[in-house]
Amino acid sequence: MRYVIIGTSAAGLAAAEVLRARDREGSITLISEEEHLPYSRPLLTYLLGREIKPEKIFLKSADFFAHLRLTAILGEPVVKVNPVTCEVRLGNQKAIPYDRLLIASGARPRLLNIPGQDLTGIYTLRHLADVDRLEAGLAPGGTVVVVGAGAVGLKVADCLVSRGLTVKLLARGSQPLSRILDPVSADLLMQVIKEKGIDLHLHSWPEAILGKQGRVTGVALNDNRELKAQAVIFSVGVEPRVEFLAGTNLAEAGGIRVDSFMRTSVPEIFAAGDCCLPHHLITGQPAAFHIWPAAVAQGQVAGANMAGGRRRYDGILPQNSISLKGFRIITGGHFAPDTADGEIYTELDLPRRRYRRLVFQEGRLVGVTLVGEVEQAGIYFQVMAQKLPVRGLVADPKSKDFHPGKLWG
Amino acid sequence: MKTVIIHPERCVGCFQCRIACAVEHSRTKSLAGALFEAVRPVPRLRIYPGRQHLAFPNKCRHCDPAPCQQVCIAGAISRAPRGTVQIDPDRCINCAMCAMACPFGVLSYAPTFKAPEKRAVALKCDQCPEREGVGKVPACVEVCKVGALTYGEVEDAQEAKGRAFAQAVFTSLKADKEAGAAIPEMITLWRQLS
Repeated sequence: MRYVIIGTSAAGLAAAEVLRARDREGSITLISEEEHLPYSRPLLTYLLGREIKPEKIFLKSADFFAHLRLTAILGEPVVKVNPVTCEVRLGNQKAIPYDRLLIASGARPRLLNIPGQDLTGIYTLRHLADVDRLEAGLAPGGTVVVVGAGAVGLKVADCLVSRGLTVKLLARGSQPLSRILDPVSADLLMQVIKEKGIDLHLHSWPEAILGKQGRVTGVALNDNRELKAQAVIFSVGVEPRVEFLAGTNLAEAGGIRVDSFMRTSVPEIFAAGDCCLPHHLITGQPAAFHIWPAAVAQGQVAGANMAGGRRRYDGILPQNSISLKGFRIITGGHFAPDTADGEIYTELDLPRRRYRRLVFQEGRLVGVTLVGEVEQAGIYFQVMAQKLPVRGLVADPKSKDFHPGKLWG
Repeated sequence: MKTVIIHPERCVGCFQCRIACAVEHSRTKSLAGALFEAVRPVPRLRIYPGRQHLAFPNKCRHCDPAPCQQVCIAGAISRAPRGTVQIDPDRCINCAMCAMACPFGVLSYAPTFKAPEKRAVALKCDQCPEREGVGKVPACVEVCKVGALTYGEVEDAQEAKGRAFAQAVFTSLKADKEAGAAIPEMITLWRQLS
């Protein structure tokens, strides 16, 4: 059996490891556009902030591919997948035939549709090469505008401030992380952002990037203000990388549609990770959430099924962990209930900067936000993932003295 | 695999295990020394007020496959050759992904002398590898005065517990109900199991 995997990040690697464990004989080929050894994408911001040593970003040692007898084609883009002839065509026109194919091509950062984005000094942070570009382009003591106050934007702003740069962080709405935080937890976060020295601009969004002689000089905002800056970093979300599937009917705008076995509409082609559209654990509807743990889980399921197994993917449960040096927020599941009987329980301990917000619907826990004290988050996530009825729990999560440990003791 | 086995019905919540654990994970490995270390060590197991029992000791189960290992974005969590799940403080970035994944809520985040430059890293039970090297049982097991923490094969413990429960059920069917009525449930269970 000839297995081919497009992508060597979370999903691709997880699939390769499971495949090799289940099929000792088959040939496994991994293809990546990036020439580096597999590395951890979420660590890029930590690398930029110099919180980790450069060699710690690599997840696998140099002998990883040889050890699992994997053929790695690194530094070569995939330009086409032909499901009829069962071939993957590379940038150098070489064709790789397959019996089972996994598409784990991931996503690429979005930009905004505004003028000036071709200037020198515009950055995104998604690949290891982006860190090198940023390192080369960031002048010490300069000013950087970070567009988008999501999880990546916040972390980028935090690490640039700690490197001594002046950072202006732009949020489109009235708070950062508007899709996952309620105003109370966002207020707690904004206090910390202020203490870190990040200059947060609310209701501010760029309308154009200003430049002189091909270099960024500033950003024109929607409220007619102008911010001076030597660099602009966009963190406004990602889009799936599926352009090499043009004409195959496999991909739609949001990504590659898969069933609960991570199989696409073509039986011998599977998809996993940021490029696909798995079903949501709570709603069952296709949902795109680009998170590392989900990509690993999907890769494992796809790998098992490619080797002839029948493993079902539980579904994606959105989760985020935001950590600004000592201040932590963990969120998961729904932000708001989507049925009429929905209920939100909150508990705020302002002096200690602790906050607990639970979302219930149909007698089940469907969403959680923990600020400050997050060590027990996994227990809430299990209650959500297993869809346990709240009434059946031995301790009431809505009581003041609730502690997740009570569910165990 | 040999592991620390918890018998919550025996725990009285004296916290001796927590002290022993912190001391074992200190630089000096002595109680007096630990108090004066630059990085004060913290225990890696928790005791909750119990619901069914007086107290409930909670610690890492060294699951296989381990959910924390699968979600670790830093590649800091791995399985040691002896079967335990271990965290490399040098690689840990304190991101709390493992806290989201752990269904038992056993992780804590604190500084450790093994990575003094870091504000905090993820900490959990490592089953005292240095003690095992010299043939000792884990520190928490050694100090437990009531037999709530024991060290052995999980399968053996399951079998022994199954037998004890079967015996307890059998005894209770025969026992005079009046005689057992005044004794609190935990004590009754404890006696039945010993």
